[in-house]
Amino acid sequence: MANTVVINSKEYAIDVADDMPLLWFLRDRLEFTGTKFGCGSGLCGACTVHMDGTAIRACVMPISAVAGKSITTIEGLSENGDHPLQKAWVENNVPQCGYCQAGQIMNAASLLATNTSPSDDDIDAAMQGNICRCGTYQRIKKAIKSAAFELAKEV
Amino acid sequence: MNRHLHAAIHGDTAANPIENTNRRQFLKIASMASGGLAIGFTLPGMASPASQDDNISLNAFIHLQENGDTLIYSSRCEMGQGISTALPAAIADEMEADWSRVHVEQAGGDKDKYGDQATGGSASIRTQFEPMRQAGAAAKMMLVAAAAKVWNTSVDNCYAENHFVINKLNKQKLGYGELASLAAKVPVPKDPVLKTKDQYRYIGKALDRHDVGLVTTGQRMYGVDTKLPGMRYAAIVHCPVFGGKLKSLDKTAAMQVKGVTDVIEIPRLDVPYGSVGGVAVVADNSWTAQQAVKKLVVEWEAGPNAVYNTKEYKQQLVANVEKPAKKAAERGDVEKAFAEATHKVSATYTGGHLSHAPMEPNASVVWVQDDSCEVWASTQSPDDIQKTLGGYLKRDPKDIKVNVMISGGAFGRKFKCDYVHEAAAISQQIKAPVQLIWSREEDMRTGYYHSINAQHIEASLDKDGNVTGWLHRIAFPSISSLFNPSLDRAPDNALGDIENHPFGIANLRSESGEAPAHTRIGWYRAVYAIFYGFAFGTFADELAHKAGKDTVKFLNDVYDANTNPEQADQVMRSKAVLALAAKHSGIGKKLPKGEGIGIAVHHSFQSYVAMAVHVKVDGDDIKVLNVDCAIDCGQVLNTDGATAQMEGAVVMGMSLSLYTEISFKDGAVVNSNFHDYPVLRINEMPNVRVHIVDSDAKPTGLGEPGVAPFAPALSNAIFAASGTRYRDIPIKPLSA
Repeated sequence: MANTVVINSKEYAIDVADDMPLLWFLRDRLEFTGTKFGCGSGLCGACTVHMDGTAIRACVMPISAVAGKSITTIEGLSENGDHPLQKAWVENNVPQCGYCQAGQIMNAASLLATNTSPSDDDIDAAMQGNICRCGTYQRIKKAIKSAAFELAKEV
Repeated sequence: MNRHLHAAIHGDTAANPIENTNRRQFLKIASMASGGLAIGFTLPGMASPASQDDNISLNAFIHLQENGDTLIYSSRCEMGQGISTALPAAIADEMEADWSRVHVEQAGGDKDKYGDQATGGSASIRTQFEPMRQAGAAAKMMLVAAAAKVWNTSVDNCYAENHFVINKLNKQKLGYGELASLAAKVPVPKDPVLKTKDQYRYIGKALDRHDVGLVTTGQRMYGVDTKLPGMRYAAIVHCPVFGGKLKSLDKTAAMQVKGVTDVIEIPRLDVPYGSVGGVAVVADNSWTAQQAVKKLVVEWEAGPNAVYNTKEYKQQLVANVEKPAKKAAERGDVEKAFAEATHKVSATYTGGHLSHAPMEPNASVVWVQDDSCEVWASTQSPDDIQKTLGGYLKRDPKDIKVNVMISGGAFGRKFKCDYVHEAAAISQQIKAPVQLIWSREEDMRTGYYHSINAQHIEASLDKDGNVTGWLHRIAFPSISSLFNPSLDRAPDNALGDIENHPFGIANLRSESGEAPAHTRIGWYRAVYAIFYGFAFGTFADELAHKAGKDTVKFLNDVYDANTNPEQADQVMRSKAVLALAAKHSGIGKKLPKGEGIGIAVHHSFQSYVAMAVHVKVDGDDIKVLNVDCAIDCGQVLNTDGATAQMEGAVVMGMSLSLYTEISFKDGAVVNSNFHDYPVLRINEMPNVRVHIVDSDAKPTGLGEPGVAPFAPALSNAIFAASGTRYRDIPIKPLSA
């Protein structure tokens, strides 16, 4: 089994205990702090990253399970912070405290990767694992739709 | 080293249209002790700034660079409410600064320099709008005076516009950057001239948040994100019952975990914002520390609060308000009004404890050294960190250096610094910088909770359906109990919202029922307005029903009955938001079966909010379709920020109306994480429409006032839709 993991296109040696969740490898070992700790139990979505393009909860994903995989964090979602979702988040002034937003954006990016024109119900189903206590849900919905619209224009 | 500035530099890639200034330059000026060009100004009531030459920067909010880049410090703490955009924008407006050239930084804790930084009570806009404008206006006058000197002309021949001073006579222009060093030598004007409303450039507009680009790229640094060389990581388990203490500890298994270096007992620090007591584990990363905490074998001695069971306690509160209690305030003759009544109505309302549960659990980094102590913390009150740590370490509070990190949500919880005290206790023992992050479970179980509460109201109506008498009993463990544990009930001043309510009720009495505290009680977003708003708003709807009036008419009548000239403004503004919410919601129109609209108004923190909630009810299924929210907060600083605060208030209002409740069993909190403390998720988000009253009144805050009217409006809507009246919130608690 590979003993490395690719994070944001760069390969890193896994040099921590097998059962350490990916979240803490990112935050404490590599100091990628954009991925947040919220609940530690996969209940809130603040730690959402992509594994081979699909959203996962980094707080419950042992590092051993991502060996040989490719991980994308908020820091690596786009080269210049210009992913359509990031732009839509800025245009709609989505964040309040902003703490959950990396997880929200990563989860939404995973949604749009498989569903380019999500309905309200699709967004609800895909995004209900991501909690925002400040209450930015209305703007999150709006931003996802506007990003989907922009993506559709690019195709 | 300073990760906050580090983040600012890396934020260069951010896709934020207003974040286009060169942050390397800011790093430079921010790190130079006497570099940059600090323009001081005088906060009302504070000492004059030091002379311009030594540039000590007392009260320095504004730093200019020679290239014109402008750094503005946000003195109040940011936790998502947008204050670090709103107040700096007010400074920039008065200064005639180009917002695209402005970079905002969070000021560190320094009361002498920045004034009161304790951020709560929806007070920042209310108390800082004028002083911040004065800071900006003073800077502008100094820049104009500098330009006049360069041109050897009168200041009357010069004016400032969008980062330039312009010579009226010959249209010459000088940039703010060019003028900065000269401006810094100009005496600070004593009475800076403020703009009139028509001259505002940013105030009253929809402003983009200054830091949104940092958020969307993961570069925004919160309390949990601080990293220092040599930093250690800690996790903690607390004494589960408030007032208890450690009985026995076996740390053998925990110490055997690879990477663990220390297990540290932290006794309770018996001050309001000190630790309840716990045991911490120190390791080389947070995960290891958290795992090792679970291997501690700890026995606690629970102490007297082991008797606390919220299910029974709530029943006791109900009993305590359904019998005579201690009088707090009285006017007129309630008994006479009741004796002469055409109708009498009574109802009892209850609510549970709430945990703030911000997405970022309590976290800080503290480094205690022999001759210094430095803190990096998500906090609402750096001053309280200085006081608490100063007391604990027996040092001058001013020697505690506090770096204020943005809070990943706070809602009142991060006003208290027990978690910072714990990190200090650990750092002091291990002689290294330490980061302590509480687990979600510890965060939920070691809170300063919103009060569990019961209210009983009896009111009389005359033959025309007018309210003639009002007896209002309430019982709740109050925040005052935190500072005076011997209190057996809420003090009279905590019942002020009853006698000062803008309803016009001639005969009124308020009474406080017995309610000793068995846990720590704290400020939770909207505080007592949550239960006062719920009881007043729901009971008004019940009275309207009894009086045979629609609720909007009933509310207008009861406001109109207020003849106290000191409350004329409150009456007028309450009625105005009521009318606005009613109009947009369409309340009164025919709706499909199973749907209903409820409305409620609440005045709190000097702002006015009315909400009309439109629901669809099918059995136990309650779906909130639309919320029309009308607000009057005087002059609005940032219309988009105001709108966001109301959207957020609806979400928090829905969570606490429907779901959130902290339960205690044998003194300990039962809930642990978001599975048994469920909060609102996106699939239940209603369509929220915010309507802002155009006003020239003194600006007031919006962080909290939107929360209070939601629960009563929802209860009223459910009644309209289904005929079921909910008087206990949350409506759908998990059985605990």
